[in-house]
Amino acid sequence: MPAGLEVRGLCKRFGGIVVADAMELDLAPGRIVGLIGPNGAGKTSFFNLVTGVVRPDGGRVSLDGRALTGLHIHQRARLGLSRTWQNLRLFPSLSVLDNLLIGARVYPGESLPALIAGPGRLRRAEAADRTQALDILERMGLAGVAHTDVASVPFGQQKLVGVARALMNEPRCLLLDEPMAGVEGHAYEAIQDVVRRLAARGIAVCVVEHNVAFIRDLCDEGVFMFAGKVLARGSVEDLIADPRLTELYFGT
Amino acid sequence: MEYLYTLAILMALYVILAASFNFVIGYGGLISIAHPVFYAIGAYASALLARDAGWPIPLAIVAGALVALLASILVAVPSVRISGDYLLIASIGFQLGVLEAIKNIGWTGGAGGLTNIPALLAPGSNHAIYVALTIAVAIATVVLLRWISRGPYGRAMSAMRDDELAFAALGRNALAMKVAIFALGSGLAGLAGGLYAHYFRFLAPGQFDILQSAALLTMVVVGGLRSTWGPILGAIVLEALPQAITFLDLPPSLLGPLQGILFTGLVLIFMFARPQGLIPAGDIWRGRKAMATDARRA
Repeated sequence: MPAGLEVRGLCKRFGGIVVADAMELDLAPGRIVGLIGPNGAGKTSFFNLVTGVVRPDGGRVSLDGRALTGLHIHQRARLGLSRTWQNLRLFPSLSVLDNLLIGARVYPGESLPALIAGPGRLRRAEAADRTQALDILERMGLAGVAHTDVASVPFGQQKLVGVARALMNEPRCLLLDEPMAGVEGHAYEAIQDVVRRLAARGIAVCVVEHNVAFIRDLCDEGVFMFAGKVLARGSVEDLIADPRLTELYFGT
Repeated sequence: MEYLYTLAILMALYVILAASFNFVIGYGGLISIAHPVFYAIGAYASALLARDAGWPIPLAIVAGALVALLASILVAVPSVRISGDYLLIASIGFQLGVLEAIKNIGWTGGAGGLTNIPALLAPGSNHAIYVALTIAVAIATVVLLRWISRGPYGRAMSAMRDDELAFAALGRNALAMKVAIFALGSGLAGLAGGLYAHYFRFLAPGQFDILQSAALLTMVVVGGLRSTWGPILGAIVLEALPQAITFLDLPPSLLGPLQGILFTGLVLIFMFARPQGLIPAGDIWRGRKAMATDARRA
C-alpha cells in the first residue's frame, strides 16, 4: 500500500489562468518537503485542491492509499489531512484552547443527537481532547495563553496557534502555508522544532514558504513549482543554486 | 382574569418562538425569517391529528413538533448544501407556499381557518394550569438551548460562524450542524404551535404570515441576538406592547398598520442605535463554568 500523499495528474484552471497543470507530487511519511516558486505558481492552489477547498478539473489525490477525490473537506481532514492557512483563519470568538479543541480528531460535541444521548461519552472525549490540546500548547510554549482570547494574542503566537490547531487531528499529512510570514524569534524556533518532531513520528509534511533560509534549515528536499507544474525536485541548495529557477523565481 | 391568562400564555409561547429563532439565526448564523411557518406546521399537524385522526392531544402536540422538524430538514438540506444564503430564499418560499396551500386545501379549514380544535384542558378547569404548562415548556426550552450553546456544541457553532472553511478543514461537518440547528429550532417552534392550537382552538393562515416573521425578528434583534435573556425580554415586551396599544382606543383599521410600523421601526432604531440589542451577548464564547474550572485544574 502506498503511504503518504500521492497526487497524480491534478488539473485546475480558472478561465485562462492555469493553477495546476497535470501536477504530480508524492509526499512520503517522515519527509519534510519545501514547496517553492514565484507568486502565482499555484502553491496555495495546490493545497486548496488537495484539501478539497477547490474542486479540481481532473486528477487523483490519495492519502495512505485511500482516494480523497470527491470527498468533502471535513472528510479529508478526518482521514488525517491537516493544513494551516496563509491568513491564519483562527476563530476570533474563541480562546486559544478552544481554537485547538475544535480541531480534535473526534468531536462528539458537533452532533446534537450524540450530545443529548451520551453526555458521559462527551465528557470523556472533552477531557481527552483538553489533555491533548494543553500538551500541544505546552510543547509550543503557549501554555500561558491557553485561556486567552485568540484575537488578543500577539501575531507570532497566533501563527503558532494555527499550527497547533492543525496538529489536533493527529495528521498523517500536514500542509503548512507560509508558516513564517511575519514571524521571528521564538516562534521561528518553535515551528521548526515542532515540524521536525512531527516528521520524526512518520508524518508527511509539505511547507510553502518564501523564507528560503527557513526552507533550507528545515526541509529534507525542495520542490520548485511554476505555472501549476513541478519543474524540479531535489535538495533545497541545488534548487536555489539553479540559475534557470532563480530567473523564474524573480521573473527577470 | 382570562385576558391576563391569555396574555401570559402568548408571552410564554413567544418566548419559545423567540428563543428557538435566536438559536437558528443567532447561534447557528442561519439567515431565515420563515420561523412562523414551522409554528404553523406544528399547530396544524397537531390540531388535525387530534381532531380528525383522534390522537390523544399530548401525543398530537409532540407529533406536530416532529412534523415541523422533518419539514425543516426538507427545506434546509437542499438550500444549505448550495450556500447558506439560499436558506433565506428557500424558507420564505416555503413559508408563502405552505400558507397558500393551507388557504386552498379543504381539510385545513382554508382561508377561513380551522375550527373545533379539541382543547387540552377539560371544560371548566382552571386556565392557570395551562399558563403553568406553557411557562414550564418555555423554561425547559430556554434551559435546553442555553445548555447546548454553552457546551462543546456551542463552541463548534461559534467556530462555524467565525470561519466555516477553517472549521470544515479541521474535520467538522458544517452542513450537518446547520441542518441540525435549523431542525431543532424549527421543531421547538412546532411545539409552540401545538400548544397554541389546543388552547385557542382556532387556527387561520393569516396568523403565521410575514408580519409574524417581522415580529419574531424584532423580538430577537431588540432583545439581543445570541443572549439567553435577550429574546425572552424581547418576546415579553413586544407581546405586551401591541396589547398596550389596543388600550389607546384607536380604530381597528389603524391598529394593524400601527403594529407593523412599531415592529419595523424598532428593528431600524436598534440596528442603528444599539445593534447588540437590550441584553448584549459577549463577543467571546464562554463555556459552562464547570468546563472552565475543569480546564484550569488540568
